[in-house]
Amino acid sequence: MSETARFWIIIVVLTVGTFLLRSLPIWLYGRTPMPTWVERLLRYVPAAALTALVVPGSLYIKDAGIYELAPARIVAALAALVVAVRTKNVIATMISGMVVLWVGQALLG
Amino acid sequence: MVEDRVNRTGRSMLAGAKDVSPIILGIIPFGLVAGAAVIEAGLGLPEAIGMSLFVNAGASQIAATALFAEGAPLWVAIGTALVINARMLIYSASLAPILAPKATRRGKILLGHPLVDQAYAATMTQGRFRDDIDVVPYYVGSWAILASVWQIANIVGALAGSFVPPAWSLDFTVPLVFLAMLVPALKTHTDVEVALITAFAAALLVPVLPMQTGLLVAIVAGMAWGAMRHHDTELAQEGEAG
Repeated sequence: MSETARFWIIIVVLTVGTFLLRSLPIWLYGRTPMPTWVERLLRYVPAAALTALVVPGSLYIKDAGIYELAPARIVAALAALVVAVRTKNVIATMISGMVVLWVGQALLG
Repeated sequence: MVEDRVNRTGRSMLAGAKDVSPIILGIIPFGLVAGAAVIEAGLGLPEAIGMSLFVNAGASQIAATALFAEGAPLWVAIGTALVINARMLIYSASLAPILAPKATRRGKILLGHPLVDQAYAATMTQGRFRDDIDVVPYYVGSWAILASVWQIANIVGALAGSFVPPAWSLDFTVPLVFLAMLVPALKTHTDVEVALITAFAAALLVPVLPMQTGLLVAIVAGMAWGAMRHHDTELAQEGEAG
């Protein structure tokens, strides 16, 4: 199967799955309440998911399947974290992170 | 005045669009990154458009695309993205009592699709308290402007992404954009704990677990920690769950 076809499988399944996740509680409203433990678990999806999407790409570069620590990325991510906490501004966070990364890559290789 | 001529539904949609407009600027870089990621994964503009138009959920789009680019099996890319979107179940459940009674039977079928983080936040914190507008068109209107900007940003990202040389390390914009979203999402002590546990698990597991399953395992571990440590008193300190 071509890479493009494989990617379209992701798009289609993700579309249907996400549509159901968004719709089921609205469709079932008034019939079955959500169990408390499910609600507790889902309450922490944003903190967990966003962290998991930040960390590996901030620590490592992947070269031919091998993960190697990337000092320039670690420094840049920490700098961006400081800017994010201080400003809560998406654009400032991204610009500071990228600039520190470029400087870091020039200095550290 | 224009307001006098448009009907109540139109006015409600405009009100929704207006209430989310301050956050629109924030989704542009996110959309650019999502569009560029699809190109970087070796795919084309149709795939970038298909992903943003149909899936309509930013973080999961980027995660699925990145996992695909790293050669993860399809079930891992899809499973990880769906776990990220599982938060929609909560949004939907908390909006259901506000929206479902006001929608027609047929309208209810499609009512879930416009559920994106910012439309949820606006409807929960503002739209539902207003009696000069109808909440269903308000919610749809807030999504319509978000989705339009999201779509354009994805297309621009896809077009521009193909011209950016690899030496610029554009892939690093992905963790950066999530970092910018993560910080405001850490509202309680337990949120911070969840982030630390997930960070530790992801750092340790992503390089070693097979088939790129590390991300999925780290997210589930963080969620489980949060559910275990959850204090009901914290609910009082929370604004919206977005």
